[in-house]
Amino acid sequence: MNIPSIGEFEELVLLTVAAQHDEAYGVSIQASLEGKLEKSINISSIHVVLKRMVDKGLVKSRYGGITQDRGGRRKKFYVITALGKAALDQQYAIRTSIYNQIPKIAFGE
Amino acid sequence: MSLQPPKYSLKFLRWFCKDDYLEEIEGNLWEIFDVDSETSPNRARRRFTWNVIRHFRPAFIRSFSTEPTNYRDMLRHNTLLAFRNFKKYSGSFAINLVGLSTGIACAILLYLWVGSEVSMDKFHENDSRIFQVMQNLVRPGDTLTISSTPGILADALKEELPEVEYAASVIPTDWFENPEGIVGYEDQFVQAKGQLVQPDYLKIFSWEITQGNPDQVLADRNSMVISEELAIKLFGSTDAALGKALQWDQGVSEGTYQVSGLFKTPPSNSTQQFDVLLNYDIFYQRRKEQMDKWSNSDPDTYVLLREGSSKADFDAKLKNFARDKFEAINGPEYLHYVGVLFSRKFSDGYLYNSYDNGQQAGGRISYVKLFSVIAIFILGIACINFINLTTARASRRAKEIGVKKAIGAKRGSLVNQFLIESLLVTAFSMVLGLVLVFILLPAFNALTGKAISLGLDLILPVIGITVIVSFLAGLYPAIYLSGFKPVGILKANVIGKTVDGFSTQMVRKGLVVFQFSISVVLIIAVVVVYNQMELIQTKKLGYNDENVVALKSSGKLYDEMETFVQELKKVPGVINASPFGHDMVGDYGGTTGVAWPGQLPDEKIRFGNLEVGHDWIELLDIELLDGRTYTDNYLAEEDNIIFNKTAIEAMGLEDPVGQTVRIWGKDRLIIGVVDDFNFASLYEDVAPLFIQLYPDLSTVLIKVDGQRTAETLAQIEDFHTEFNDGLPFDYTFMDDDYQRLYESEQRVSVLSRYFAVVAILISSLGLLALAAFTTERRQKEIGIRKVMGSSAIGIVALLSSDFIKMVLIAIMIATPISYWFAEEWLSSFAFRIDLSWWYFALSGGAALLIAGLTVSLQTLKAAFLNPVLCLKDE
Repeated sequence: MNIPSIGEFEELVLLTVAAQHDEAYGVSIQASLEGKLEKSINISSIHVVLKRMVDKGLVKSRYGGITQDRGGRRKKFYVITALGKAALDQQYAIRTSIYNQIPKIAFGE
Repeated sequence: MSLQPPKYSLKFLRWFCKDDYLEEIEGNLWEIFDVDSETSPNRARRRFTWNVIRHFRPAFIRSFSTEPTNYRDMLRHNTLLAFRNFKKYSGSFAINLVGLSTGIACAILLYLWVGSEVSMDKFHENDSRIFQVMQNLVRPGDTLTISSTPGILADALKEELPEVEYAASVIPTDWFENPEGIVGYEDQFVQAKGQLVQPDYLKIFSWEITQGNPDQVLADRNSMVISEELAIKLFGSTDAALGKALQWDQGVSEGTYQVSGLFKTPPSNSTQQFDVLLNYDIFYQRRKEQMDKWSNSDPDTYVLLREGSSKADFDAKLKNFARDKFEAINGPEYLHYVGVLFSRKFSDGYLYNSYDNGQQAGGRISYVKLFSVIAIFILGIACINFINLTTARASRRAKEIGVKKAIGAKRGSLVNQFLIESLLVTAFSMVLGLVLVFILLPAFNALTGKAISLGLDLILPVIGITVIVSFLAGLYPAIYLSGFKPVGILKANVIGKTVDGFSTQMVRKGLVVFQFSISVVLIIAVVVVYNQMELIQTKKLGYNDENVVALKSSGKLYDEMETFVQELKKVPGVINASPFGHDMVGDYGGTTGVAWPGQLPDEKIRFGNLEVGHDWIELLDIELLDGRTYTDNYLAEEDNIIFNKTAIEAMGLEDPVGQTVRIWGKDRLIIGVVDDFNFASLYEDVAPLFIQLYPDLSTVLIKVDGQRTAETLAQIEDFHTEFNDGLPFDYTFMDDDYQRLYESEQRVSVLSRYFAVVAILISSLGLLALAAFTTERRQKEIGIRKVMGSSAIGIVALLSSDFIKMVLIAIMIATPISYWFAEEWLSSFAFRIDLSWWYFALSGGAALLIAGLTVSLQTLKAAFLNPVLCLKDE
């Protein structure tokens, strides 16, 4: 299977989805990323990225139950797929391998 | 839950967002809003709206098109279904086809007729700038509008008004007592219509000069320009004509002229029809004394305005143009002899030809409008049949619609399906309709006196009518049928109620009432028009025009008229003969120059003036009330005069015979008084009139023996040919001339008869189908009723009463409407029928009878059906 390439923001959202395992939905992802990155992120960008990743097969979704909150709307939870995990792994491997090639000398002592 | 997100933002989100994402997005936004609103409600609302706007991006916006993407397949599917439906329900298909094709054929015929009326005279290149100068002769209470103008007006206008590019005086063919002159070449004589025009005439109008130099053909008073048609008649070809010398005989314009050019014969959509053009100067020079007066009106005046100049400015300058000229020369005393001038667009003259007291008052345009409306109504009636049949039989389609909707068909695609069905029916009807038009066109042309042919320019209107009709007929059923709720119709036992509810039945009944109202209005119109035409044709005119031949005089006959008349009386079969200067159908002289004993200082009466031979009163059987008629001693009778009854009453003379009046400054002795007779059209009351003896006149009236008319006419012709050196024998029957006066009314009468028949036919067709449908649906009920002992009559009454009620309502609506229209139309006649109640009763009764017969065709069948047959199954 071809592993699709992912962009930086996609990677961050995918990581969050993976980290929050089965409990990730729009607002929780937004809150977590805002906390980590210390900048505000609009919910619409999260929605767009999630949509794109569903299309690519990196995540899959399911609906939660109806509650009194959220105007009675169900939450849509996202779970990372095997392909998504592979993409993260690949990304991580590439980064680490390149990182390891940095000569110590380059930073001076 | 205290706070709600902003309503409109939420609505907007729900409107644009794809269903797949809406729940997730809305929920998340709502959650953010809830959190935010704990700190600041305003900020929360702002952020909510902002977030909604941020989501307005292609990824989430849904598709707004309801069209399926597989157009070709859907089209094939719908067409196939339509054909299957036509086959399955061939009865209602046939009724729709017949109704629509008849309606369309009527509409196309009327479209062609209206088109040809409207295009009259529009073909000139400068059409928008050609104006005719008209004249209002202002008299207290009765202003007369005429097209003749002073003979020096055109030149003065061209010289003095900067707006005028070209101006021409024209003596039209009908200025002459006999519009046909005679062209002679060697020993050939041919009748031809001649106009005398100024050279600018050819610059104003776009007549095509095919030979000769257009700037020179009318340069001098010897030139004559003739039509190609006339050239071919005289010389056999168009090449031999130039330079030939021709004899021309027509009143003042007679003489020998040289052919200086040829023009293409005017097309049939031109009101100006002529074969010969001569220089206006001939006419002007020969009548110079009158022509130089501003108070005299002979020629028509046409102008071509410069580009960019306005009619309003021109009219303002034109208004008192002739009056000012007259006043400058003659002073103010007789100023009322001169008219107030105004301009009329030349090509409007044909349709807007009627004036009432100086104001434009319709004319042919009213018939054009009338028939356009009738065409639309007839199409409407045909569309209503389609609408009623489709909605009445909706239950048959209910299952189909229900299933389609249940498996996901959108309303739009169902609407498409039904529209395609109506488009197909309309297209078939259009083909049939065109075939009908093709078959009927010769008869229609004969009826309307037109030369309409079918051409390619009909393609656009044909497509237009097809599309419009299919929408008119198909839109309501399509929207109605596609609006069914699938759950309701799939539960079989409630179909009747869901599908054919109270409101649709009301719509259907309303439409039937509308159809029959129109039919009844048309029937009443036919009855009224027919009776009025009967009145006109049989009205006692005050004279007897039976077997009276009117012979136009020319040549030797004109010069030696008295001899001719005396000789003519010896021809066997000729009962009487007399010269006559007019025609009894609108042509008569007129003057206010009469002074009588006891006249008040300012009192003026307009008198009609007929110039006649001495036997004229006897020939026409006009009743003499007092005194005597003229003798054949012209010299002795020169100072005598005869009045009609109205004239004597208008002047207030007691014991008139023997009294003296002054006419044009000459004393005249009243020798007789005749009873009133109609010397103009029946649109006008009989006016005061004097009859004077005059030796040389334009026409000879001949009373012949009705038993051997053809034989006598042949003998008169022989005698005429011999006497008049072979000039053509050109005669009409006087009663024919009279009929011709009411030609347009006759046409309206005949046309309205046909259209009324078509309207009632199509309406009845629709009623027939509706009745068939209702009866079919109530078969079980009828069966049970019969079993229970109901009589056949009772069942017929039960089934028919609904329809009869509708027709009765239609009659109630139609009666006042048609009463109003009939009054309007009749009020233009001075001699008219009174509207009596039985016109309306007759028409309503006829409609009721036709509707009743139509419905009973179906109901009788149902009533005599064996109840076993309709109750056995289920």
